[in-house]
Amino acid sequence: MRYSSQRVAYAYFVVAMLLFGLQVAFGLLAVAKYLGPDPLLQLLPFDVVKAIHTNLLLVWLLTGFMGAAYYVVPEESRVELHSVRLAYVQLGLWTAMGVTAVVGYVLRWTAGNKLLEQPFPLKIVIVVVMLMFLYNIGMTIRAGGRLTTTEGVLVAGLASSALLYLPSLLEFDNYTVSIFYRWWTVHLWVEGVWEMIQGGILAYLLIRLSGVDREVLEKWLYVIVGLTFISGMLGTAHHYYWIGVPHYWLPLGGFFSALEPLSFLAMAMYAYYAMRRAGLSHPNHMAMHWTIGSAIFSALGAGILGLAHTWPAVNKWTHGTMITAMHAHMAFFGAYVMIVLGMITYALPGLTGRGEDSRETSAGFWAFWLQMAGMFGMTMAFAAAGITQTYLERILGIGYLETQLKLQVHFLMLAATGALFVAGVALYLWDFFFLAGRPVEAAPAERLAPAQPGA
Amino acid sequence: MTKRGTRAFFVASTLLSALVFVALTIDSHRKIPGLTNAAAIDASVIAGKNVWHRNNCINCHTLLGEGAYYAPDLTQIATQRGSAYLREFLKDPSRFYSEERDRRLMPTLGLSDADITALIAFLGWVSKIDTQGWPPRPILVKGSAVPGANVGGPAASPASSDPIELGRVAFNSTPPGCSACHSIAPGVNIVGPTLSGIAATASGRVREGAYHGQAKDAAGYIRESILDPNAHVLAGPTFSAGGRSLMPSDYGQTLKPEQVDQIVAYLLTLK
Repeated sequence: MRYSSQRVAYAYFVVAMLLFGLQVAFGLLAVAKYLGPDPLLQLLPFDVVKAIHTNLLLVWLLTGFMGAAYYVVPEESRVELHSVRLAYVQLGLWTAMGVTAVVGYVLRWTAGNKLLEQPFPLKIVIVVVMLMFLYNIGMTIRAGGRLTTTEGVLVAGLASSALLYLPSLLEFDNYTVSIFYRWWTVHLWVEGVWEMIQGGILAYLLIRLSGVDREVLEKWLYVIVGLTFISGMLGTAHHYYWIGVPHYWLPLGGFFSALEPLSFLAMAMYAYYAMRRAGLSHPNHMAMHWTIGSAIFSALGAGILGLAHTWPAVNKWTHGTMITAMHAHMAFFGAYVMIVLGMITYALPGLTGRGEDSRETSAGFWAFWLQMAGMFGMTMAFAAAGITQTYLERILGIGYLETQLKLQVHFLMLAATGALFVAGVALYLWDFFFLAGRPVEAAPAERLAPAQPGA
Repeated sequence: MTKRGTRAFFVASTLLSALVFVALTIDSHRKIPGLTNAAAIDASVIAGKNVWHRNNCINCHTLLGEGAYYAPDLTQIATQRGSAYLREFLKDPSRFYSEERDRRLMPTLGLSDADITALIAFLGWVSKIDTQGWPPRPILVKGSAVPGANVGGPAASPASSDPIELGRVAFNSTPPGCSACHSIAPGVNIVGPTLSGIAATASGRVREGAYHGQAKDAAGYIRESILDPNAHVLAGPTFSAGGRSLMPSDYGQTLKPEQVDQIVAYLLTLK
């Protein structure tokens, strides 16, 4: 950490971690409901739990992304943040929005649109928060007069996320039109501009952790982002197959979404290349684990498992089954959860004023491996459930309810591996809150330290 | 390749993709009204869409295959169940399903009659969207778990032009969705009564004193049940409410006369 204003990232990470903990708790509650019967049926039914589970994910990931940007941008532009105060006000407003949304869902205040359940007034708050964020970052870059490719891709990803949120403010009488545009937000986030964010953070971490020449890494970053948009933009079509749009979206979606794994594979090769060049020389081994892990896990979860059911002739049978949950869990975890945890793990020693090599705890490693094992097991459980469901319900034509009864054993596996995963999250939070220490006031010398040339 | 080159690749590929995407979006806007029967979107359908959103239905169910996977897909539910059934179901789902038996139950939402009417109108509109042939085989809420019910039956292509075969295929298709409620296995009542041995049952029933319909024989009874479900109402928790059948009563309009003939011919083979 070279600039004292970077410390604002710590507060963002605290909020992100608290919401992460809450998110996985609601995940466990959801799987309990799959096992049934449900004693909370009227009080806290599945739909509320699921909306909270997914919304907390989106909110805490965005909190992590914004925290990451507040950490990265001053360092890259070599200048203090434009306004630390504004960053804290923004975080306060954002957190208040998140908490209000969750409480609102429990009280059945919802827009009832999948992943965009935020009621209209809260959507406006989200837009305001995004604008505050972009203003603060924009002014910082202006003051620094230096925009690197790495931070450029990260900030462009966040700015585009804000822009693509705007369609969610519109309402359409035709349900088909409204889901058409819902995917502009949801799909173009997670298979478009969020990949820019992931790529930007990944490039930053690889530059820092491997010491490989920035020019080389940034050159290939453009290729990764280019591949993302070639495949991801027209790949939106794989959400359009069966919703009442013209037929040409089927071959189009099949072709372009089959290309989507390329950008994830490129990221995995990218990380592998950087590590081979540099070796594991950086003292923050835990950050290295999360960074490389993210690149590999996202290639599997987002790339390969997405490909598994994206072709129209396959999707015709698997659409709307647990196959989707299989892909979604591993993809979100690999691409976005792990990169944020990597960023936090990397930044933590600097934020808490410790030497980089003092951050290696067995709790931290257990957190990593338990989450790995847990998420891998959950993905397998979802896959087994999804494949069984596809055969029994969709191909043989057995009823939904009877099929679900046959899936009980997979839901048990899901609960068991989910518990492993939650144990890993709990250890990560324990490490973050109790072992890593708290931020200290920066010594004046630290503030004046010049940035490393070429870094 | 230089950094300048890769940047050019990024900018060019992004712009090109965006251009194609926006062009196709504009074209889709021209075609969606036809594909979705947009002329039928009236105030009631819009009100129903709001009920759908307000009650967060999408976070348990799927619609057009999108949503959560905790409850059945509802794309064709209006066709498969009909409004009389859906109205009773929405008032009290626990009358039709039990947590002990099915492990899942929909909470009672406390919807007003107006909300229910609107929601059924919305689901009715959705069921007529041109979904490019999805789902390839009807997705049933319940049923067919018993061997010999519908398992393995071909979806839509009849093996011959034999009226009985055509009737069997129609019975198993959605629409009309007969098999979504009626099994042909003995003792399996999905929602409506089982049609196992219906030919024999029907010829016995027309001779019973309790029967007040017009039919004189089994074929007449089956035809009458399809076209006018209220001609003779069976008591049963999921069959009827307040002496009125929960079966859709509009098959006279939605089925062609020869389709009714074919379904009757098929059902007469169930002895």
